[in-house]
Amino acid sequence: MMLMRGNAACPGCPIPREIDALLEVTGQKTVLVVPASCTSVIMGDTNGMPSSVPVVHSAFAAAPAIASGIKAALNSKKEDATVVVWAGDGGTGDIGLASLSGAAERNEDIMYLCYDNEAYMNTGVQRSGLTPYGAWTTTTPEGKRERKKPIPQIVAEHGVPYVATASIAYIFDYQAKVKKAKEIQGFRYIHLLSPCPPGWRFDSSLTIRIAKLAVETGIWPLYEIEKGKFRLTSLSKTLIDKSKRKPVLEYLKLQGRFSKMTSEEVKKLQNEVDEFWEEIQKID
Amino acid sequence: MRKVMSANEAVANAVKLARVGVVGIYPITPQTTVIEKLAEMKAEGEIDADIVRVESEHAAMGVTLGAGAAGVRSFTATGSQGLLYMHEMVWWASGSRVPLVMMVGTRAVGAPWNIWNENTDFMSERDSGWIMAFASNPQEAFDLVLQGFRISEDERVFLPMMVGMDGFILTHMKTNVYLPSQEEVDAFLPPRRQPYVIDPEAPIGMGNIFPPVEYMKLRHSIHSAIQSAESVIKEIGKDYEKISPFNNYRTLNVKYRMEDADYALVLMGAWAGDAMEAIDELREKGINIGMLRIRYLRPWAESEIKELENVKGILVMDRATSLGRGGPLYLEVKATVRNQVKGVVTGLGGVLLNKEDFKRIILKFLKEAKEERSDGVEWYYPAEVEKVELRNPKDVE
Repeated sequence: MMLMRGNAACPGCPIPREIDALLEVTGQKTVLVVPASCTSVIMGDTNGMPSSVPVVHSAFAAAPAIASGIKAALNSKKEDATVVVWAGDGGTGDIGLASLSGAAERNEDIMYLCYDNEAYMNTGVQRSGLTPYGAWTTTTPEGKRERKKPIPQIVAEHGVPYVATASIAYIFDYQAKVKKAKEIQGFRYIHLLSPCPPGWRFDSSLTIRIAKLAVETGIWPLYEIEKGKFRLTSLSKTLIDKSKRKPVLEYLKLQGRFSKMTSEEVKKLQNEVDEFWEEIQKID
Repeated sequence: MRKVMSANEAVANAVKLARVGVVGIYPITPQTTVIEKLAEMKAEGEIDADIVRVESEHAAMGVTLGAGAAGVRSFTATGSQGLLYMHEMVWWASGSRVPLVMMVGTRAVGAPWNIWNENTDFMSERDSGWIMAFASNPQEAFDLVLQGFRISEDERVFLPMMVGMDGFILTHMKTNVYLPSQEEVDAFLPPRRQPYVIDPEAPIGMGNIFPPVEYMKLRHSIHSAIQSAESVIKEIGKDYEKISPFNNYRTLNVKYRMEDADYALVLMGAWAGDAMEAIDELREKGINIGMLRIRYLRPWAESEIKELENVKGILVMDRATSLGRGGPLYLEVKATVRNQVKGVVTGLGGVLLNKEDFKRIILKFLKEAKEERSDGVEWYYPAEVEKVELRNPKDVE
């Protein structure tokens, strides 16, 4: 099960590996629904089939609805398949938020993977609601002034059976979550932090290192919320103690998009991360 | 079976008899009673369809399209703001070459808010690559929706189809409607077959990037499919007589007293009834006018419209407008015939016309036609509107 080689991903882009890792678990009986995003190009610009499973490309805001329709049709034909929305952060948390929320509220029997590269990368790095505080994009040349929209928490508030965060740097954790999600009926949501070399301004050899640092600094906690129960997973289980977490600066300094952040701004971000972990400590 | 019902109820019955598998629903006046009826049928166990209660019209078409792509007969209904909100997905459906049927209860478009009838919403999808029919009475609403599934799913067409109906004036109007039996409908409408379907056992990609020439060829194929739909619609219309012999669907559009007509009135929709009454009365006074009611905007049956070249003058009435230009039907007719054509834009935002208004419009047109100046577009207000002062921002106090 795989995305075909010779695809149009940029050097160092984690998306092809993220899709492969997904399909390795969900298997042949998978239908991918992909709204406008980098993957539209990565999977789109090919002669013949871009992957070993069916792919339905969707208008930007419609993927969860189209997936709902496909699942309803498969049910009525008594055919079994995992219908997966594979969407970027803009398609998930900005233009697609209503459709995501609608499908989550209806508890549609679909799996939703958001690969979050924290901006509109396919159009050339414009800020999204999921771009983090301080990050340069072409539409926030001064650095983004607002915080990142907390989509996994928003989805979890819908009371869906499964929500998780994941990272390509912790692939066993990611695949274990997909495996768990596959066995659950209802709306399942997995949010992948997906480092983007050209958009985050780092060398294409550093993708996994940066993905790792996001977890090690606590900026990207790995967790799952199963039937409402929150649980830290993988390395994040060991990071409750602040001294175990690397300073966020180590994550920021490798990325050109944060290069204009002042030390006060870095401190502000560090404080936000620490406060977030204090909240986690209360619920974990 | 004959039963008194509104056009909306007739539409729901057509969906039921077509054994639709998935319906994406979202409310909007004046279509809402269609989806309420379907939800009620589901609750009563009368239909098996999966009713997906989505969060917007954009999603309603998403669900309907997704189900169609996976090979299941699907339906939705909307109008006005809902149709405009759905606009992107309307195009996505035809570009994906997925058969499905949508009912459009027409209504004016804001701003400002107005919930009453107008056809501009329907007309705004003219270029979207759908088969587009427009009903004029509840029986025709039922017939066109039912036929729509077969037309849409025909391999020579393989495109979505929308059936428009005037908001309130038709959607909520009750008349006797003849419903064929389930067995008859099953014989008329075989189970859906489609050349490509979303199936993990036989993976395909849909909607991926097409390079320029391939994209243009796809657009061209939709253009050809709409044109070839003309003969398919006639063929299916003839076959429909086996299960419902009351209306004539052997032509796309409908003529009224055109055999000996010197002048022709062209329009579409429910106000054809008022127009026919006006024509009957004018005929008694020796005025030889007939009517061509447009039942299909797409395909545009050019040979049927071209017959209008035999009359001395053509009057086209639009309950819609391309602002700054004229009514869409007027523009279509003008592009088809060599004659002088007069356009009248009226009935917008629920403005009601009665038989006397039709007579006034026709008599004025006849006078102009005799003087060979029956060209251009007139905005007509009913007789009781004494003074027309336009509302311009600069005049706001």
